[in-house]
Amino acid sequence: MSKWLQDNMPKIVLAPSFIAVMIFVYGFIGWTAWVSLTRSRLMPRYELDSFIQYERLAASPRFETAMVNLFIFGSLFIIIAMVLGLLLAILLDQKIRTEGAIRTIYLYPMALSMIVTGTAWKWILNPGLGLEAMVRGWGFEEFRFDWLVDPDMAIYTIVIAAIWQSSGFVMALFLAGLRSVDGEIIKAAQVDGIPHWRVYTAIIIPSMAPIFLSAFIVLAHLAIKSFDLVIALTGGGPGYATDLPATYMYAMAFSRGDIGQAASSAMVMMLVVFAIVVPYLYSELRTKDG
Amino acid sequence: MARAVTSQRKAINTAIAWTIGFLIFFPILWTILTSFKTEGTAIADPPVFLFFDWTLENYAVVQERSNYMRFLWNSVIIAGGSTLLGVIVAVPAAWAMAFVPSRRTKDILLWMLSTKMLPAVGVLYPIYLICIELGVLDNRAALVIILMLINLPIIVWMLYTYFREIPGEILEAARMDGASLRNEILYVLTPMAIPGIASTVLLNFILAWNEAFWTLNLTAVDAAPLTAFIASYSSPEGLFFAKLSAASTMAIAPILILGWFSQKQLVRGLTFGAVK
Repeated sequence: MSKWLQDNMPKIVLAPSFIAVMIFVYGFIGWTAWVSLTRSRLMPRYELDSFIQYERLAASPRFETAMVNLFIFGSLFIIIAMVLGLLLAILLDQKIRTEGAIRTIYLYPMALSMIVTGTAWKWILNPGLGLEAMVRGWGFEEFRFDWLVDPDMAIYTIVIAAIWQSSGFVMALFLAGLRSVDGEIIKAAQVDGIPHWRVYTAIIIPSMAPIFLSAFIVLAHLAIKSFDLVIALTGGGPGYATDLPATYMYAMAFSRGDIGQAASSAMVMMLVVFAIVVPYLYSELRTKDG
Repeated sequence: MARAVTSQRKAINTAIAWTIGFLIFFPILWTILTSFKTEGTAIADPPVFLFFDWTLENYAVVQERSNYMRFLWNSVIIAGGSTLLGVIVAVPAAWAMAFVPSRRTKDILLWMLSTKMLPAVGVLYPIYLICIELGVLDNRAALVIILMLINLPIIVWMLYTYFREIPGEILEAARMDGASLRNEILYVLTPMAIPGIASTVLLNFILAWNEAFWTLNLTAVDAAPLTAFIASYSSPEGLFFAKLSAASTMAIAPILILGWFSQKQLVRGLTFGAVK
């Protein structure tokens, strides 16, 4: 008996985590998928009824706004955060003094909840108080920065805050990548008199391709899950101009009493995540095995 | 001469890095500064930076009006409890994957991590209904368990990356000397794993402390932590920047301080072990 225990211990101790994740994630996703195929409104109902919820979703202008926002927000956020993160990483790679402290400061926004840091952002973005008032105070009376209350521009305030929050994180990822590049190659290039910036563009950055991919995946899933950013800054407003799928789902489930819509929008979000993450995980597995 | 140039360059780079650091830190700094202003000064045009009458009034008002201490206590219990529980469940799992790997270990690990990528909204509603059914909506114990489950994949993953750095030979030697499995884990593995466990605990505590999605949706009054408290403060009260800043500062402070004194763990934790 004790021999059997000893041999199977690894499986036994792994089981709780395995089962917990299994039920918690797949069981509940299954439930959501089921409900998304019913006519549930205020309370969940379990009689299947075709794709009525998805048809309603497709016809909803509010959900369309949310998806367009996700696309604008996601692509801008990912591209800018990656570029800034890479530049910051290269800067910190120049043998900076007090690097540890700076790195921590760059990472602070990521370590703090947007719900909390949103307070300052609301002030900065508030026309009449923050940045606009400050620049006008310096003598530029014509300066305008009222994106927060402009339905067409409000989504870009979310982009700004999201970039602020994540750039330091991307920087840390890239910095680790820069440090892992073989120092001998760099030295050899320097001996050959290749200029500093060429060493970066021709040798170091190309060798960091896997890190670009990981950073992309992390940022993409952050973008799709973004919820507290919107809640903290705009609450989805003005109107529903800054709705993202997550806040749409939240509004449907908790203030509109429309569970069917909430479930179907959750499923659409999940499909988007799958479309991005699954190919990545698949390639990751393939390379690790081979 | 060449040395002088490089050290000058170094100084310039350092100055640039600190300037950017200041810009990044500005919103946080501003929150802290604003929390010591009166409501009038907080929305002054043009903004006032350092030269105003510092006051602690906002802190007193926030505490008096909304019993801030209760929210703080809820945050501590929920973040601390879910972290502790998560580590207890995850240590054996990470141990098994790091030291007794099977063919599928990598798959299981990636699969666990992949679930973290899924948007939480997909599982929110069933959990919400279960909480109602069981009568544990707005209940601290329920939140402890839910947050533990949410962060479990990350805890397992991080512990695994740390455990893998421990040479397996040491464990083998202990086994050869007749150490039982229990003793092996307790007296050989655990002491060596403490730095890794500490980083994991720190990261998970921060994640749970900041958690807003679940706490906003599943709490009302009794179990609401700081994030829910601040969210509630910002909407109906309108723009009381000074008081809101005071509340925010109190929620930021523990993380800022904790993070500063464990910089290495913070950086490694937030990058999921990528930066050592």
